[in-house]
Amino acid sequence: MTRNDPIKHVFIWPALLIVLIISIFPLIYSLTTSFMSLRLVPPMPARFVGFGNYAELLQNPRFWNVAKTTSIIAFISVALQYVVGFSVALALNRRVPGEGLFRVTFLLPMLVAPVAVALVARQVLNPTMGPLNELMTFFGFPNLPFLTQTSWALGAIIVVEVWQWTPFVILMMLAGLQTLPDDVYEAASLENASPWQQFWGITFPMMLPISVAVVFIRLIESYKIIDTVFVMTGGGPGISTETLTLFAYQEGFKKFNLGYTSALSFLFLIVITVIGLVYLAILKPYLEKHK
Amino acid sequence: MSVRTLEGNARFWALAACLFWLAFTLFPLYWVVITSFKSPLGVVGGPTYIPFVDFEPTLTAWSELLSGQRGQFFSTFIASTIIGLSAAFLATAIGSMAAYALVRFTFEVRLLSAVIFVVIAFGGYLLCRHYLGVGQATSLIYAFIAALALSIISSRFKLPGPVLGNDDIVFWFVSQRMFPPIVAAFALYLMYTEMGKLGFKLVDTYWGLTFAYIAFSLPIVIWLMRDFFAALPIEVEEAAMVDNVPTWRIFFGIVLPMSKPGLIATFMITLAFVWNEFLFALFLTNSKWQTLPILVAGQNSQRGDEWWSISAAALVAIIPMVVMAGLLSRLMRSGLLLGAIK
Repeated sequence: MTRNDPIKHVFIWPALLIVLIISIFPLIYSLTTSFMSLRLVPPMPARFVGFGNYAELLQNPRFWNVAKTTSIIAFISVALQYVVGFSVALALNRRVPGEGLFRVTFLLPMLVAPVAVALVARQVLNPTMGPLNELMTFFGFPNLPFLTQTSWALGAIIVVEVWQWTPFVILMMLAGLQTLPDDVYEAASLENASPWQQFWGITFPMMLPISVAVVFIRLIESYKIIDTVFVMTGGGPGISTETLTLFAYQEGFKKFNLGYTSALSFLFLIVITVIGLVYLAILKPYLEKHK
Repeated sequence: MSVRTLEGNARFWALAACLFWLAFTLFPLYWVVITSFKSPLGVVGGPTYIPFVDFEPTLTAWSELLSGQRGQFFSTFIASTIIGLSAAFLATAIGSMAAYALVRFTFEVRLLSAVIFVVIAFGGYLLCRHYLGVGQATSLIYAFIAALALSIISSRFKLPGPVLGNDDIVFWFVSQRMFPPIVAAFALYLMYTEMGKLGFKLVDTYWGLTFAYIAFSLPIVIWLMRDFFAALPIEVEEAAMVDNVPTWRIFFGIVLPMSKPGLIATFMITLAFVWNEFLFALFLTNSKWQTLPILVAGQNSQRGDEWWSISAAALVAIIPMVVMAGLLSRLMRSGLLLGAIK
């Protein structure tokens, strides 16, 4: 039971004030800026343009291209992370030999700074001096353009994302698997259910709520990707691997086009919210069915 | 035979798959470590894999790095450490207090008060800025204070409309994490610049960056610590209340010591997040308080393919967190964190 005590205000206000100041202040500022034409270089007086910035963005093919690239990276990498992470968690849960060692090392990538990961990836993927090139040369494909051709570069970014964030899926799924009761499986093996049937009949449905949460968190986080791309390809070749955040950074920090960037970041917020809501709406019936 | 153990072929394939994933996980880390000990010639000559066998390790990259030839690594490392530790500490402290309050006390906020806050904040800002001709930063401050005051006063009255409870407040805090950080980072940069014109320098200062990090760590701290406090037995606190122990002493003297494992885990997660963070540091700092990720990212464009030094630089950012992970897993094994991860 919760109780009432005036001291509660002392406990909650520091957190409330900091979040209000740091997120509401800028929000007001950038929402109003997004309706104006405002540039710092060359300096121009602010001019109210209504939805002008938004309209301009929606007509800009670069925006759609960037949104598409970000979605490709987010959806494919999260799908791979989920499949691999779930499988590894299943294996660890079933006491594979050497489980203790795997448990610790599998979590390492999550703690490595994405910037550092991207730098290492650049070395490993170097088309002439990298170890992967040597491996591919051995198979008869020398000097593949890992970072300089659009489809290869996208693939490389996705692999790096999978390397870095599968640990998160492993961690969460393992925690979930450990809460599943043993007796259901005992009953299932008495009925001679094959492991495949046990997985789809018991494990998967029971893990559905946590799966939905994990995929949701990863999807939202993946849409924010900037550091990996910033270092690995810088958005290139051309602008073909540019992501939403990187695009906003280029517009805001390189061109100082303030109104336009604010509008872009709000569109981004809308895109994320819509994707989140659609995702939850699609999965809701399944979640309720298995309750 | 327990149902939880694999047998026969399945066991073999699971082990093979795990070993493959282990190699995939460790190879890049192994590669960056050995590259940092290679000589320039050893890197350009093509890939080599085993120290002492196919290349002779040298300390060139590390001595260059430590002697400061490769940028201000020492001062950046210090700045990163100070900001990381203090932001993680403050976020854990402030967030735990809020999480505790949200678990144990009743909060009721009328939706209308929240709406009043938003409307006054926006309206006040636009009014000051465009009709009264007040400066940008000043009008934001006025609007914020007016909005806060009015919404607090309004919450004293029994306004009509739905009432938001503790769960709604927690949801509001946690949903802050969903925001694409670019929305806040860019706007914060503009805000800090405006504040700078008023005489409060915030861009490239300790407080500017630390405050941003505290605010963006709070959602995760509140989320983790709320689960943790909710799992604590309430009887101990009730016994203390019967003895008339003041609430703040219950919190600092009983609740916090009981939640040490959770606090340590939360602190470490927050520290890792702040240490590796890139976007805010990119926007909000430029020289003095630059953090390691920015300096490391810069190595790439400045040094071309000088991988020996790039690797050493990357390792400076990687090693502290790996050491921390080692400590964390140690704590887990010793049972200190038992129950911290549900």
